[in-house]
Amino acid sequence: MKVFAGFDINGQTHELGIEPHQLLIEVLRDHLGLTGTKHSCGVGNCGACTVLVDGVPVLACMTLALAVRGKRILTIEGLAGGPELHPLQRAFVDLGAIQCGYCTPGMILTAKALLDRNPAPTAAEVREALAGNICRCTGYVKIVEAVLAAAEKMRGREVAP
Amino acid sequence: MYRLLTPFDYFEPQSVREAVELLARFGHRARVIAGGTDLVISMKKRQLTPECLIALAGLEELRFIEFDPVAGLRLGPLCTHAEIARSPLVREHFGMLATACNEVGTPQVRNMGTIGGNLCKAGPSQDTPPPLVALEAKLRLLGPQGERVVPLDQFCTGPFCTVLSSDELVVEILIPPLPPGGAGCYKWFTKVTVTDETLAGAGVVVVRGPGDVCADVRIGLGSVAPMAIRARKAEALLRGNRPAPGLVWEAAERAAQEAEPRSRAAYRRHLVKVLVNEAITELWPLTADLPGGLG
Ligand SMILES: Cc1cc2nc3c(=O)[nH]c(=O)nc-3n(C[C@H](O)[C@H](O)[C@H](O)COP(=O)(O)OP(=O)(O)OC[C@H]3O[C@@H](n4cnc5c(N)ncnc54)[C@H](O)[C@@H]3O)c2cc1C
Ligand code: FES
Ligand code: FES
Repeated sequence: MKVFAGFDINGQTHELGIEPHQLLIEVLRDHLGLTGTKHSCGVGNCGACTVLVDGVPVLACMTLALAVRGKRILTIEGLAGGPELHPLQRAFVDLGAIQCGYCTPGMILTAKALLDRNPAPTAAEVREALAGNICRCTGYVKIVEAVLAAAEKMRGREVAP
Repeated sequence: MYRLLTPFDYFEPQSVREAVELLARFGHRARVIAGGTDLVISMKKRQLTPECLIALAGLEELRFIEFDPVAGLRLGPLCTHAEIARSPLVREHFGMLATACNEVGTPQVRNMGTIGGNLCKAGPSQDTPPPLVALEAKLRLLGPQGERVVPLDQFCTGPFCTVLSSDELVVEILIPPLPPGGAGCYKWFTKVTVTDETLAGAGVVVVRGPGDVCADVRIGLGSVAPMAIRARKAEALLRGNRPAPGLVWEAAERAAQEAEPRSRAAYRRHLVKVLVNEAITELWPLTADLPGGLG
């Protein structure tokens, strides 16, 4: 039976008719066409489906959509908030931290949650925070470099707005 | 495995009482869902196809971390692994539990998965039971008939089986304080896979008593038996004695004999020996000048 529920996705409210068994990943990709969130393993191993719920990285492939109604959901589509890329996205592009790109949305959102909590992480802290996001292409070195570079840029931006 | 779930009815009770009433009404046809990190996978695999899901996530009364020097630590079952791992109270008084919670899965899994779900899943390689059996934790269960308190080492009855009846909830995890001179740690080895499932884990508590002898020792083993077990014969070897290196090694060997691994038995037993020996050897000096307990 359909339930009508309000979802706050990337700052916009969506009133959607949802079946209780539908997962957040289905609602994002199939109902709203937000295909930036990737669906890969489906069992919590890879992190490709990571989105932020109230600022915390969670897995959309294992989250019931109804469980997050009314919470603040951020997907990769909502990160930049304008034509300019977010500093994390910019750094991933500039430093070659993207190859096939399938892991990238999850990586960047997980990294955003880290930088919100810890604006000056060490390389080890970045690796630890990204331990639930698997990349089959890059070998991770450039990803860690990109997160550190974005962190530096974002710290600079904050002191001189 | 399927990527989507089959339909079910969905309830979001507003109180624990209401959740228990729903369970009593639907019985085996219902399941409660906490973080969903285990249940959703079982449902995708069609191992479980409940007709009705009862969501606990909104029940703030099941989400608390409190410490009292006499009663010890009280944990709400809805606390996530991430919340427990970073809790100053848990880290100060029962660091071994914070260590184990920080070892579960990946950061995202720790943000979603709860300690109640971890205990109720009752898988043999779950990470929180070994430290919790060593800490002699108890679970408070609530059902339509009322409450009962069950020691954790009597909660599991086999792999993925517990004494929980279909209309009962775990509503609290109680960890008694460690006696003065007590210290504990959690040590483990993992499989080399994407999720690094625990291959052998040991939660160990050592208490130094008058005369510099081991007044008490408790060894909880995980992943090496159908459920987390206490290595009671190994404990008995040490209790009342000075833990000299030879005796500690003998106890570690005894613990390895008490393990009953289903697969890779020789290797897992060897790991138990290494983990228990290392844990006690490292813990003993720490207990020397402890005013209170230090988990
Ligand atoms: C990628 C991945 C890696 C993992 N790695 C580890 C690991 O390293 N170590 C480890 O120990 N676990 C691991 N897990 C397993 C899982 O994350 C944990 O067991 C988690 O703690 C389960 O909690 P949950 O809240 O998600 O449970 P759920 O899936 O919501 O529930 C699990 C079961 O418990 C029942 N239940 C939940 N809460 C209650 C309650 N209060 N009262 C009664 N019944 C209840 C549910 O009905 C269900 O049967 C991993 C899982 C994934 C997906
Ligand atoms: S698709 Fe969700 S963790 Fe892999
Ligand atoms: S860029 Fe291909 S998986 Fe990471």
